[in-house]
Amino acid sequence: MTCAEVEKALPELLDGAPDGVRGTNHAALQIAFDAHVKSCPDCSDLVSELKLIVREAHQMAASEEPAPRVWVRIAAQLREEGLIREPADTGPVLVPTPSRPAWSAWWLAPVAAALLVAGSYIANHKQPTPVAQQPTVSPTPVNAPVPVVAETPATPPTTAPATTAPAAAPAGQEVARQEAPPEQAARLKEQVKEQPDPAAEDQQFLSVVSTRAPSMRATYENQLQAVNADIRETQNYVDRNPGDADARQHLMDAYQQKALLYQIGLDRIQ
Amino acid sequence: MAGLPSAQRSANRGANQLGAHQLGAHQRGANQRSVNQRASQSANLQPANRKRSTVVTLVLATCLSSGLSSVLAPQAFAEATKEFRYTVGPHANISVDTQYGAISVKPGSDNQVVVTAILKSNNVEVDQQQMGNRIEIASHLLRGTDQPTGQVDYELLIPPDATVTLRSATGPLSAERLQGDLTMEGAEAAVSVRQVENCHVHVRTMRGPITLIDVRNGHVEISSISGDIHLKSVTGPLVQVSSGRGTIFYDGDFGSGGDYRFTTHNGDIEALVPTDVSAGFRAHSVLGKVQHDFPLKPRHSRFTEEVGRSFIGSTGQASSEVVLRSFSGRIRLKQR
Repeated sequence: MTCAEVEKALPELLDGAPDGVRGTNHAALQIAFDAHVKSCPDCSDLVSELKLIVREAHQMAASEEPAPRVWVRIAAQLREEGLIREPADTGPVLVPTPSRPAWSAWWLAPVAAALLVAGSYIANHKQPTPVAQQPTVSPTPVNAPVPVVAETPATPPTTAPATTAPAAAPAGQEVARQEAPPEQAARLKEQVKEQPDPAAEDQQFLSVVSTRAPSMRATYENQLQAVNADIRETQNYVDRNPGDADARQHLMDAYQQKALLYQIGLDRIQ
Repeated sequence: MAGLPSAQRSANRGANQLGAHQLGAHQRGANQRSVNQRASQSANLQPANRKRSTVVTLVLATCLSSGLSSVLAPQAFAEATKEFRYTVGPHANISVDTQYGAISVKPGSDNQVVVTAILKSNNVEVDQQQMGNRIEIASHLLRGTDQPTGQVDYELLIPPDATVTLRSATGPLSAERLQGDLTMEGAEAAVSVRQVENCHVHVRTMRGPITLIDVRNGHVEISSISGDIHLKSVTGPLVQVSSGRGTIFYDGDFGSGGDYRFTTHNGDIEALVPTDVSAGFRAHSVLGKVQHDFPLKPRHSRFTEEVGRSFIGSTGQASSEVVLRSFSGRIRLKQR
């Protein structure tokens, strides 16, 4: 097996061939691939780096995820401005129709990242060779609903700006098109669980303040209650008047006030 | 007595009884007086003894309390003053960080920084270090120290062009007659900045009041969660002031060519300006009232005016832009 053949077979062998393609051919390919990688330092380095990227991409996808409410608000804002439209027949996000293409969007990002690195490596170090099967990992869904892909490094810019039926699932989560509904629901529930509860964050903040400056706890607690009341008041107004841009700005200002309170309280001496 | 009438006999009997009673009382009184005399005699002997024992007791108590206080209350400690001197070059960077205590900064010589620290107890130390043109000073509280005993007040004399960062939870913080960038932060600290020009001023408090007087030609950014903010003769290319629940009061002419943005959540905003002010104004309160004393010239803008809730217009050449925003506070533009 040559280096060019290894690069051609990379996506298939790193991600695994689709069902129905595995067989003796695949096994033979794997054996030849392994043998070449062991003997070729360049290909060995490439494979190691790609595997590292895939691993890191998985971890970062979970940790860098914004809070669901961010996506809900973005979706609401875009809907108000008419940039997204509701599809004619929208089902709940958690119950995909069986007719959708059978690819897991979850694996798209790391595989896409791996392909990008492979492609750039090939372009920089080798003779130009056609990169292997791009379309198999296209992250753009064919049919609605269009999800928002969680951020990963080197994710191709194919994210759609909106989610549909946000009330049924946290916005910003990908919609599975090939997995069985229970698995998808379980994954989404797990991701929702990972998001911190605002009240718990406030309690954690007050605990830290109590540790650093016990005499100030009551003061911070009062200020926190006042700020939270301002946020609730503004949020209620925005919910009733979604078209009021100034009110939305005041809501952001209120959140910034809370952030300022956290900063002052968590500063190193206060 | 047999010949006496019965009434007389009864009276005599009563008198006799009374006399016997009186005699008995007298006798009892005499007895009592003798007892009292003996008691007073013995009492007269006690003061001398009592005084001696009292003195002894007092002396013992004093010794005991002073001994106990020296063991149990080591913070019973006279104030200590420490002075630090540093030689610096132009644009030195100085930061002072104390949990409890006041910090005041004034201009001194061009290449010397003099720091005077007044420690209220020996439960707090002053950590200080100089790294080239950078000086860091911080109060270091020992375990179990509270506000009264952990207080350290600082007085600084610095080169006027030095950059200064001051932090204190309780404050107050004050700076005057400087030309270097100022950053002042405090939870409850009252902050005062006077006669500062050509520099950036950043102030953040939780509920400490903030006063800026005669601050010119610099960026001013002030944020407070519930502290009142008072600005007098404050002008610059950018003046951003926000308070969630506190009041913003501005007394000045908004300079020329500046961008002024005052924002509150439910605190009031009041601007007192001269009749010849030259500025474009835009004010809006989502739920509160808005009013102005000026005959404003209309301005072409996508901003929609709503009587009582917003106004937009300009005076003079509209040299500066002034935006006043509140969610539910009252906004007033008043003519001086």
